[in-house]
Amino acid sequence: MNITRSQFLFFYLVMTAALASGLAIFSSASTIALTLRSAAAGIFVPLILALATAFVLDPVVSRLEKYHIPRSRSTLAIFFLILTLLWFSGSWLVTYTQQMWISLVQDFPRYSSGLIKYVKEAQISWQEQFPFLIQYDLTEKVPTPKSALKLGSLLILVPIFAFFFIRDGANIRRNLIALAPNRYFEMAHDLSYLISRQTSRFVRGRIIEASIIGMCITAGLSLTDIRYAPLLGLFAGITNLVPYVGPLVGMIPGLTIALIDLGFGPQFWWIVILYVLISQVILDNFILIPILISRYANLHPLLVIVAIIMGGKIYGVLGMIIGVPILSACKIAFIQIRHYRRAFSLPDTGTQLPR
Amino acid sequence: MHNLWDRILRSNKEEESLSTFLQRIPVFSHLNQKDFHYIKTLIHTRTYDPGEIIFEQGDPGSGMYVIRSGHVTLFTRDSHNRREDLSVLGPGDFFGETTIATPAARVISASCNENCELLGLFRSDLFAVAERRPEIANRILLGLTSVISERLQNAILELRKHSISEESE
Repeated sequence: MNITRSQFLFFYLVMTAALASGLAIFSSASTIALTLRSAAAGIFVPLILALATAFVLDPVVSRLEKYHIPRSRSTLAIFFLILTLLWFSGSWLVTYTQQMWISLVQDFPRYSSGLIKYVKEAQISWQEQFPFLIQYDLTEKVPTPKSALKLGSLLILVPIFAFFFIRDGANIRRNLIALAPNRYFEMAHDLSYLISRQTSRFVRGRIIEASIIGMCITAGLSLTDIRYAPLLGLFAGITNLVPYVGPLVGMIPGLTIALIDLGFGPQFWWIVILYVLISQVILDNFILIPILISRYANLHPLLVIVAIIMGGKIYGVLGMIIGVPILSACKIAFIQIRHYRRAFSLPDTGTQLPR
Repeated sequence: MHNLWDRILRSNKEEESLSTFLQRIPVFSHLNQKDFHYIKTLIHTRTYDPGEIIFEQGDPGSGMYVIRSGHVTLFTRDSHNRREDLSVLGPGDFFGETTIATPAARVISASCNENCELLGLFRSDLFAVAERRPEIANRILLGLTSVISERLQNAILELRKHSISEESE
């Protein structure tokens, strides 16, 4: 094959131009993606929290709407009510939680060193039994508490977002669906209704479940001499949003504090029974989950672990908590689409309607 | 300044004509004047090109359409996929109302003859109204029931006529 010098030069120039333009497109695309990501980073958490708030408050607003109160007015009324409640309970609530928090922060080294001591003792006894475990030192990896939340911006952004989600949620969905082409409009409309209804029911159920568990733990702990019962209840309630792993993590601080402050005794065993038997087995598994959570939002334990790890990788502790509900919402969407296709036996699912 | 007040106080002409248009549709005949304000947030306005298929036989059906402008042909397809026209509907007519209450596949196909504007009322919206404003949903369902029962009566009479003529043959 003969290639003249001009042909070679031409080929060289074309390849260089192609490479350069490819690099330019790639770098600009990645820059745009990066810009979008950094712009959206701060918005994700308040958006999710606002959506959850909207899901919880939506039935109340809809109930008010039944009595011919316009939607924006009833939304405003509920927000005003919550604000006044917070305002009047605020002076008491803030000092109460502040005192509790300050004393917890002071006590924290004691508890964490106590926990480390227990872990060390356990480690020594393991290492005596299994000598090959010596290379693993568990106590190095005790996490330090970090306030990852920028509470101030959340306190402002979440109510604003939630207000508009409640007031205009249906319209936002409607306008998005209206973009669908005519041929797929009906299906998109139907599916969006089914999915959003199921998802809101699921999220609402989860939040109600978590708050009931939190209250139960708080009430149960208040019967003992343990300190920080409300904070421990709050922690147990929040971690209860994560299935399988959450309840286990939620009982660690309670059991640690009980062990260090109260020691092994009847109160410690009562707290164990409260965490495991009363709140988890009886209240959650036998009463709350069958009533509040639909069966098919259940995730396989493997998926739960994957969601926790991925959520934690992206958004830290908060990501671990909201990762599982987001994955459940995706599963609900998937199942609704499958039901829909089966109900109408769409052409590409095999069976066709007689024409 | 004048312009500003004009913009604030101006009532939307198009929307007003939408509610006067809807008042003439039998399905909405039981509704009050005030309800139409609410109904406008439920109705989806869709525009179609000439010859565009609105739905095909066997599609999942989820609601009814009211023709606001243009003409729509209803047709079926036989086993050889040949098109057999049934009827042509014009402005003010509606079709697809049998699937609004229960999910069912479409039994006929519909296509637009020219540029059409259709108003869609769908099952999921009706369910949402039933939860939020039951009295409005009641009035819509009352109108719908009377329309459907009237059509059922006609169909029964039609069938009887058909069977009598078959017997006489």
